[in-house]
Amino acid sequence: MVGLYDESMLPEMLPIYYTRLFPQSIFCRWLSCGSSPQPLSNRELSFTLADDVYLRYLSICNQKELQLLLQKKCPHKLDIGAVYNTKPSIGRHDAVVLSRELVFDIDLTDYDEVRTCCQEAKVCEKCWKFMVIACEIIDKTLKEDFGFQSILWVFSGRRGIHCWVSDYEARTLDSPGRGAVADYLCLIMGGDNQNKKVHLGSDNLHTSIRRALAVIDKYFDQLLEDQEFLSSAERLDKMLKMIPDEALRSQVQKTLESMPENSLLRWKMFLSVYESYCRESGNNARKIRYLVEEIKIQFCYPRLDVNVTKGFNHLLKSPFSIHPKTGKVSVVFKPGNAKNMKLDEIPSIYSLLDDSAPDNAQHEANMRVAVKNFQEVVFSLEKAEAMRRRNDANMSLDF
Amino acid sequence: MDLNIRRKSTKVQLSGSLVETYPHDLQMYKIPPTENITLQEFETLALERVTLLRCLATATTLKGLRMYSEEWTEYVIGELKTQGLKYYAKLCEKTSCATTEADLQARRKDHIAHFILRLAYCRTEELRRWFIARELELFKMRFATMRSDAVETFFKINNLCYTNISDDEKSEIMHHLRESTPHSNIDNMKFYKVKFYEVLDLVKMRKVYLSGGYAYIAHKDFISVLSAQYRTQLKQSLAVASHHLGEIEQDERLVSLLKGLHQSYSGDDYSNAKAMIPIESLDSLSVKSFPLCMRQLHEQLRLAHHLKHGGRLQYGLFLKGIGVTLEDSLKFWRDEFTKIMELDKFEKQYAYNVRYNYGKEGSKKNYSPFSCLKIINNTVGPGDCHGCPYKHCDVSILKNRLQGYGFEYQAINEIMDMTKKGHFQIACSKYFDAVHHSDMGLGINHPNQYFEESQKIAKGDIKVEIKKEAKPSVKKEINDFDAMDFEEIM
Repeated sequence: MVGLYDESMLPEMLPIYYTRLFPQSIFCRWLSCGSSPQPLSNRELSFTLADDVYLRYLSICNQKELQLLLQKKCPHKLDIGAVYNTKPSIGRHDAVVLSRELVFDIDLTDYDEVRTCCQEAKVCEKCWKFMVIACEIIDKTLKEDFGFQSILWVFSGRRGIHCWVSDYEARTLDSPGRGAVADYLCLIMGGDNQNKKVHLGSDNLHTSIRRALAVIDKYFDQLLEDQEFLSSAERLDKMLKMIPDEALRSQVQKTLESMPENSLLRWKMFLSVYESYCRESGNNARKIRYLVEEIKIQFCYPRLDVNVTKGFNHLLKSPFSIHPKTGKVSVVFKPGNAKNMKLDEIPSIYSLLDDSAPDNAQHEANMRVAVKNFQEVVFSLEKAEAMRRRNDANMSLDF
Repeated sequence: MDLNIRRKSTKVQLSGSLVETYPHDLQMYKIPPTENITLQEFETLALERVTLLRCLATATTLKGLRMYSEEWTEYVIGELKTQGLKYYAKLCEKTSCATTEADLQARRKDHIAHFILRLAYCRTEELRRWFIARELELFKMRFATMRSDAVETFFKINNLCYTNISDDEKSEIMHHLRESTPHSNIDNMKFYKVKFYEVLDLVKMRKVYLSGGYAYIAHKDFISVLSAQYRTQLKQSLAVASHHLGEIEQDERLVSLLKGLHQSYSGDDYSNAKAMIPIESLDSLSVKSFPLCMRQLHEQLRLAHHLKHGGRLQYGLFLKGIGVTLEDSLKFWRDEFTKIMELDKFEKQYAYNVRYNYGKEGSKKNYSPFSCLKIINNTVGPGDCHGCPYKHCDVSILKNRLQGYGFEYQAINEIMDMTKKGHFQIACSKYFDAVHHSDMGLGINHPNQYFEESQKIAKGDIKVEIKKEAKPSVKKEINDFDAMDFEEIM
């Protein structure tokens, strides 16, 4: 349990954690494979020490150096950057970024305008479902549409998830390429001055959007109940503002306001009002052809921090780093298993290192699973890399 | 590219070889020109092409036309004709592969002018970006107006051969193609399989079916493949050109022309302030002299004591441009942010950003404030308040805000009218007139330009002809004391 422990214990606990529990060897294999054809030493690591002292442009050549560096600096947080043409600690000024995993960062704070259970840094089982949906949709898109395979999913340590794509094509994708992938995935657009943030037009829906909607539909009713999107007058008003057609809006408003404050019932009613309205107005309804889908997407679709994905050298928290505020480990999880994850079962440094903690046994078991998940991704990445190199060699022999 | 070649090389070529050099209206500009030209022609060609590129930018921003739409193309071609650039109009209107003398001369000028501008626009990252964006628009527009026989010739000339997917493969993914490709008549189209990164613009817009890393494109989507290749090639050659700038600049006759070329059009980039603005006056200035995009950021900051990253960047650089010093800037942001956070947190997480904007951190570049074009095209996400209010606000919210400011009914209607039509910068100009009770109809393309124009009025450099019907009905939000204070400092 978090809260019983505090940050001041970290300096004592971290060295033990890094030596005994942090999967150093597999971590180095993952990084060096993701750095190839450059050596591991060209990869930037960055440490956050106590009191937010920030060390950038660190690098390691092998596991031994990693262990030494971790012991010497005892970082409270560990971030991973890009792969440069030289060792990042030397020649910083003419260093060129050569590759970098394609990364995605989804944070629950970006859901503050829709989630009703928590705000800001808080997170609970109810709003975790947003992450489950995000993970499933993004994972499918990356695999099915872009053909990526080496995808690592990591809990960010507090209120979000990270995704690392290590396929060669993803690692070497240039900035416009990253931007295009991010935009392809981004359906919710607009700032605080725009109430309706999703516009799907009136033509056919793209295959990827249909697939995303199928995912959302699996969880939508549950989310409606959990989040009570339509219960209070204020929440209802938010939803009404997403309806561009005035006549329909006032019809919906009249009908729903007279109903009990049950979101699921109100939603069902909205659907039937919408359908009959569309039937009656025939061709005029073309503009609101996908209104239901648009509302669902605005409520549930992944909200990416696109700048993290678009940037080539954005630092991102490493897997198995400790979150300094919560003490939780950034565990690697399987995308298919996201829905079974319980937030208080995610291992924390405190319970891992304290035999007498009530969660100790379970957290240890979950830590082992997380390391195993990590290994699986790294093994498949190594296999893919070996294949790629063999193919490249064959190609050059042909000429 | 090697400039020496041009200086040394032979006389004007005969039309016979022009036919070989320029077989097609549309070029990929792979080989630099090698003939001798007079300085005068050099200058004329350069200026004419800048005019051409500028037409493209105007069509999109000031006229608010949708890129590559019929009206957009029509406007550009019309504008080229009125500007006396008939040869460009011809090249853009009906792109073909005819071989009359006029055709060949037009292509020759197009070719030389493109390469001159490369020299002028390779200097900075920002110039490069502007140039590449415009040249790509031009390329795409010309490709779009091409007749189908000319398209085929173009593919042949440039050695572009692709094989289409088999009918079996196509019928297997048919329903996905229908869902995900915006063309009608898909049944009769041939489809081609390319890697997704060859057609990023289609990926970005979700206008192509993707599977396993491949994009399935129709024949007419090849413009995406081509323009992506063209973009890469252009980017590389600009980088190469910038490395050889030293050699080119030994010829003083060219230096001033090349350097001044973009300035002559775009004017100032506002990265260096001309005046000093004390932060105490920002509240009153935000009402009197800020464009709405900055006024709303200022108000949001005062209200929430926080702005997200995009807002800090847009507003922070604007402030730098109008003349707020680094020290003042730090104080200004600190005073607000520390109302909701510890000083320590501000210094660690936000002060860096402020100094960065002033070129004191990181790559130490003196960043220039955002232009309208950049602000309009910026991504604005949940929690953000930046962007262009005429583009990134719901109509009802914008209207409420304007009413809250106390503008006249008529003025609000004019602004809303332009907003709804998507003419964002004209809406901004209407807002300017509403604030200043003027009827100037300024062409606004930079928030800092807006500010300077407004200051000219405030200082009496420009006399405003007050519109007859206009009563000074803007609510007296401005504290007279504040305003007086400011006038004295100026």
